[in-house]
Amino acid sequence: MSASQQWNTLQQSRSRRLGRAAALAQGKRVEADQVVALLEAVIEPGDRICIEGNNQKQADFLARAMVQTDPARVRELHLVQSVLSLPEHVDIIERGQVSRIDFSFSGPQSGRLARLVESGRITIGAIHTYLELFARYFVDLTPNVALVAAQMADRQGNLYTGPNTEDTPAIVEATAFKSGIVIAQVNEIVDTLPRVDIPADWVDFTVPAPTPHYVEPLFTRDPALITETQVLTAMIAIKGLYAEYGVTRLNHGIGFDTAAIELLLPTYAAELGLKGKICTHWALNPHPTLIPAIEAGFVQSVHSFGSEVGMENYVAARPDIFFIGADGSMRSNRAFSQAAGHYACDLFIGSTLQIDLHGNSSTATRGRIAGFGGAPNMGADARGRRHASPAWLKAGREGRGDIAMPRGQKLVAQVVETFREHMAPAFVERLDAWDLAEAAGMDLPPVMIYSEDLTHIITEEGIAHLVRCRSPEEREQAIRGVAGYTPVGMGRDKRAVENLRDRGIIQRPEDLGIDPRLATRDLLAARNVKDLVHASGGLYDPPKKFRNW
Amino acid sequence: MSAKRVSYFEASARARVAALVDPGSFTEFCPPAQRRTSPHLAQLDAPVAFDDGVVVGAATVDGKPVLIAAQEGQFNGGAVGEVHGAKIRGLLERAARERPAAVLLLVDSGGVRLHEANAGLIAISEIMRALMAAQAAGVPVFALVGGACGAFGGMGIVTRLCDEVIMSEEGRLGLSGPEVIETVKGVGEFDSRDRSLVWRVTGGKLRRALGEATRLVDDDASAFRAAAVAALTHHRNAPADLASLKAAQAALTERRATHPDTRDGLEVWRTLGLAQPEAVPMLASDEFNRQLDALATEV
Repeated sequence: MSASQQWNTLQQSRSRRLGRAAALAQGKRVEADQVVALLEAVIEPGDRICIEGNNQKQADFLARAMVQTDPARVRELHLVQSVLSLPEHVDIIERGQVSRIDFSFSGPQSGRLARLVESGRITIGAIHTYLELFARYFVDLTPNVALVAAQMADRQGNLYTGPNTEDTPAIVEATAFKSGIVIAQVNEIVDTLPRVDIPADWVDFTVPAPTPHYVEPLFTRDPALITETQVLTAMIAIKGLYAEYGVTRLNHGIGFDTAAIELLLPTYAAELGLKGKICTHWALNPHPTLIPAIEAGFVQSVHSFGSEVGMENYVAARPDIFFIGADGSMRSNRAFSQAAGHYACDLFIGSTLQIDLHGNSSTATRGRIAGFGGAPNMGADARGRRHASPAWLKAGREGRGDIAMPRGQKLVAQVVETFREHMAPAFVERLDAWDLAEAAGMDLPPVMIYSEDLTHIITEEGIAHLVRCRSPEEREQAIRGVAGYTPVGMGRDKRAVENLRDRGIIQRPEDLGIDPRLATRDLLAARNVKDLVHASGGLYDPPKKFRNW
Repeated sequence: MSAKRVSYFEASARARVAALVDPGSFTEFCPPAQRRTSPHLAQLDAPVAFDDGVVVGAATVDGKPVLIAAQEGQFNGGAVGEVHGAKIRGLLERAARERPAAVLLLVDSGGVRLHEANAGLIAISEIMRALMAAQAAGVPVFALVGGACGAFGGMGIVTRLCDEVIMSEEGRLGLSGPEVIETVKGVGEFDSRDRSLVWRVTGGKLRRALGEATRLVDDDASAFRAAAVAALTHHRNAPADLASLKAAQAALTERRATHPDTRDGLEVWRTLGLAQPEAVPMLASDEFNRQLDALATEV
């Protein structure tokens, strides 16, 4: 060991940065008009920066401040953050202040991002899953400076993040314990917090933002927009998948297909005698469309990645179901809920834009670099799992065959209509993800769920139990067999498909005892947002854009 | 599982007829098999419907003979074209001759079909004339409004000519629709995308509170049937004489004085003295009716 070796360069750097910022703060409090100066004081060229945000809450005020910093001082940044979804996130790149990005999801900015990548103005490290990115915060992508959002701070700098705690603990823990700087924008500073979500000694600065941080009501699906085809696929999912495997622990993707399943639990599933036998434990945001199932006693537990606008009072009034603090409000945690969805759930079901002949699926399209957020973690078999459950064991027996070592498998299902909007087929020979990877020079085509993880496909044509297929050829025919009138579906081998049907690998609605003519919207436990409010006993307070009263 | 509630709002015209009339009692006139389609739409190479978007026929409701027309909002917004209008007019003329217990108009229409312009306008005026002829012959006409297109334009006028108007809150009634007002007068006058405002101003609760709708029901086909049965049982035509016209005018004058410069249903709830004006949109129709009736009794 060399005597001259310095072991505290990070701490020294932190001290220098805090020293430069000292004059701007009163204790930990920095006023909004000083925030640009604060950022210029604490950020150094080449820093890894995390601007908190995901598809729900956003540190939007701090993101706007970043765009006002001097590009000569705040430069060569490496953004390491869940989403690039605010215009400002991409503005910083366009201003030439960023050299590299590692992220999970870009949503509304996916087109702009793709253009910046194709013109060589930015390098993407990787498009992660949320959990994967959080994991790298603790290995090789630890932020030097984290800009986070909280609902309130007290005068010591403790933070209340409340129902929308989301990513904050993961970001702050990684940053604070590796000598980084944590700056929190807060909606208000109060004397006493309802509870402490982030302790003050992990937080360096609190900034009262002029406007409350933005939260997107991303998980609200208006039941009025659910189609009868979605009612049919929900019936198939409940009878052909949930009841078949006895699925009690699960995660639902966002979408009208899964909202339809949630709204059929108190009606169709109850009629089938499935209450208490399926869908009891969830890793799920507080979906308003889950209210009728909760009220009907279907649901025992829900842990959430984040909250949902308007659901706060309802959630707080159901502490047996949700995770609630001593103060009475919910605590969410994206990292833990992602881990729960990966390891402790037996089923993931979601939707996609494209499925190929192997069963790989992706929502990526050419000209858009969007990422998948959490779906790849939910929609992947957990190889590290060591606890058994009936659903997991049954899927494992079917998927791995009669092998010497007993082992289970996660159920991973995709629900799609054979044709999506504009008559684009959901089944394709080749995913657009390949074109995107070539155009953007990516190492991997962005696949949301890999073929080897996908166990089921549900369409209006029926369910394909891919997990029961014995060969790649069978698997391809099973996929073609539920692909309807798409070119992929028309290319099926009719005899092979009939054979698969005889063996219960493909099941049509009639094979499951489902009459498609009975798949009407009248089966939905709520047909519009107002019905959801009534179901909640008036506790759900939907955002204005979902009201017609 | 409890009996399924069939949403009147979401039901097709034929499903509404089926839910309203006594089972098996419906006989359709000019059924789709006769393919009486619109010549105007054909000229424009636009899609046509074999019933031109309206179902007309005879049935019984609670054992009483009725003539019934149901507009299909899914076809051109239930808009009235020449054939569509002629079917309704013919039904009303038949009512004047046959004198059934009532005519039920299941209105779901934005008004005149613009493709057919003058033919549609003429059809509306013919419907109004035939409707008043049926009333003059002693046949009450009941409008049922609870579809996605509401009752606007010419069909809004037709609805207000009816002896009773049965509405759900989801049903809307007005002359110019929200989009038309916004286009003509600007978004400052009326924001048609503010769905909450649209329903507070045109929805069934406001119409019931202002006395334009006689009965308010939940969005449930069986509730509409129950209200139609009640109307058939209890409705008594007011005499079409000068005294009753003067009384109607006096009521309108008083309403205008009670609600001057009102821009929002909320103000009406307040003026009427409903306990929690903001909570009114969430009230079930029974509770809303009870509160309104209680206020009427107090006065």
